[in-house]
Amino acid sequence: MKFKVNRDHFSNGLAQVLNVVGTRPTMPVLSNVLIEADGDHLDLTTTNLDLGIRCRIKATVNQSGSVTLPVRRLASIVRELPNLDVQVEASANHQVKIASGGSNFRIMGIARDDFPPLPEFANETTFTLEQAVLGQMVASVSYAQSADESRYFLNGVYFHFHDGKLSLVATDGRRLALTHREMDFGGSNGGSLILPAKTVAELVRLLTKQEKFGVTLAFNDRRVAFRIAVADESSGLIDEVHLISKVVEGNYPNYQQVIPKEVHQRVKVERELFLQCIHRAALVTSDKSNSVKIKLSNNLLEITAASPDFGEAHESLAVDYSGPDLQVAFNPAFLMDPLRALTKDQITFELKDEVSPGVFKTDGNFLCVIMPVRL
Amino acid sequence: MRTIIHLDMDCFYAAIEVRDAPELRGQPVAVGGAGPRSVLTTCNYEARRFGVRSAMPGLMALRKCPHLIIVPVHFDKYRRESQRVRALMQAFTELIEPLSLDEAYLDVSARPEPGVEIARELRRRIYRTTGLTASAGIAPNKLLAKVASDWKKPNGQFEIRPGDVAAFMRDLPVRRIWGIGRVAAERLEREGVRTCGEMQALPVWRLQELFGSWGTELFHLCRGEDTRAVEPHRERKSLSTETTFREDLRTLDECRAALEPLFAEMVADLRKYAEVKRVTGVMVKIKFADFTHTTVARGGAQPELRVYRELLEKGFGRSGQPVRLLGVGVKFAEEAAEEETQLELPLDLGRGVGHR
Repeated sequence: MKFKVNRDHFSNGLAQVLNVVGTRPTMPVLSNVLIEADGDHLDLTTTNLDLGIRCRIKATVNQSGSVTLPVRRLASIVRELPNLDVQVEASANHQVKIASGGSNFRIMGIARDDFPPLPEFANETTFTLEQAVLGQMVASVSYAQSADESRYFLNGVYFHFHDGKLSLVATDGRRLALTHREMDFGGSNGGSLILPAKTVAELVRLLTKQEKFGVTLAFNDRRVAFRIAVADESSGLIDEVHLISKVVEGNYPNYQQVIPKEVHQRVKVERELFLQCIHRAALVTSDKSNSVKIKLSNNLLEITAASPDFGEAHESLAVDYSGPDLQVAFNPAFLMDPLRALTKDQITFELKDEVSPGVFKTDGNFLCVIMPVRL
Repeated sequence: MRTIIHLDMDCFYAAIEVRDAPELRGQPVAVGGAGPRSVLTTCNYEARRFGVRSAMPGLMALRKCPHLIIVPVHFDKYRRESQRVRALMQAFTELIEPLSLDEAYLDVSARPEPGVEIARELRRRIYRTTGLTASAGIAPNKLLAKVASDWKKPNGQFEIRPGDVAAFMRDLPVRRIWGIGRVAAERLEREGVRTCGEMQALPVWRLQELFGSWGTELFHLCRGEDTRAVEPHRERKSLSTETTFREDLRTLDECRAALEPLFAEMVADLRKYAEVKRVTGVMVKIKFADFTHTTVARGGAQPELRVYRELLEKGFGRSGQPVRLLGVGVKFAEEAAEEETQLELPLDLGRGVGHR
């Protein structure tokens, strides 16, 4: 194997696949990136057996071939190389020579035969979406995933393809975020999967915010694969990035049953303004009294917080409200998470009483159900 | 030898209402909700003469006693009076275990004066301070003290001395033992056992066959033996009622039919706590013929028959086995009043079938 590559392209490619590799993998080869040189490109692949990533970068390949190298060290070295031109050459015993300007490195690699192949897919369900849309959808629910290992089936985002739409759901048992989008399934019947939290984070990182770039998702009952079109080829990345992950096995709870059916009291709030008020009020909260009170009265929304050993905060917002006086307490983070993740300027906030959930909504596509804190 | 007093306020809620509204004096009075489906929490002795009872539906009570006056509940008031009574008890001992707003055990073993005198003085002070009467049982343990407080009710007291225990227990109906409800009493009756004396004739292994591990405890209780301590800080975290069936239930319909009386029994028990305790969840417990068991719980739910039916169906579906035991219960919020509680979504998170 012998190729010439642009330092920054190489560095960008390695950065794409780096996160997957754990600090203490079960097999040495899992610390490595698989480099496959062929034609006019390199394929870079990493995996931790649960989750694998492959990307492709431009290169001038003199002699095709493959090898695996420790990815963290390699990424550090490539980033620091003095010259944009990088020459890489592997010898028969998997030693790799990296030369750039006056720098010359020899790195010990491992044969590619030891590298576990990424699973191939066949007969799976396939859907195609726009990256910017999927990215925004995932971001608007992913904060609500559970980190509680005993509820492992909540440690992810639920993808539910049904009734001509894709619904994404995340919940930690205290709040639940749901977003959906109409979708053309093309002849497929739909289906569902739970995408693990780690894969969710990688996916959000890889999806571009630019419009008109596609992502194709294929899954069966054990695995899911994303093919993500590269938006910016000036980075050296070309074609697609592949993300292949195990799904969380288990049944996702019936999320519909916790979505309040009736509308109770409702106010429209300016998202940014409301977020800032809650954020300021929350500055006086403590571990012991970690709640803010939302109080609704005639055309007034008040936000108060207090902790006995520190002090109090009071914020108010003018709103259009003529219902009965109400007071409900929430964990401020639970209110701020969806407000931060959303992009709409105006959102609707619905309340009933101090033991019923508060619900954020935007124009029919999003809702977040948040259980109150009982004082 | 310990000296335990069980103090029981007489028709506590009704008595407070009558005290505060003198025009009610001498009239049959009950306390409860007014709706068509609500039940009475308490009634006074005038009402009991007509067959009105606690936990009776209001409509049924009115049929038995058309001039019954039903007063709405004022828990704030009852709690306040309960605290005044509690303060009076504290003059005698720190070892006080409240059972509800109107009942408590006191361990007065460390006091120099006899239990009967303490009880008499305490009841006198309660009457002077609150205008309410109380009854007391004085005995060497909690079981006997509780039975004794009922003996001279209302406004009376009764002592069971250590030497009198055997004679006292001999004719005591088994239902008077704390924990023996309708179901257990019926099971004993099938054994030809109605009194504690008859129950004493059953060997411990037979009681274990009938009641499982509880059998050992019953073996002692029916002899008037009870070593449970008066626990001042005991906090009830849950309440449940369960029953083991004589014959395993094979179908969901049989289970559904068995659920209703269990539910009713639990709700009757719950009434004593509902005003002081906040229910944070409900659960159904099922033990199958192969001795695996499963618990289906729903956080945030309130004790409604509908919810229990749903949980039962879910739990029943987890095993193909016939059902040996069914239980229904509630979880209470932790007592610490200042604690903030993050409420949970009523999500059904299934828990699977476990082994003992």
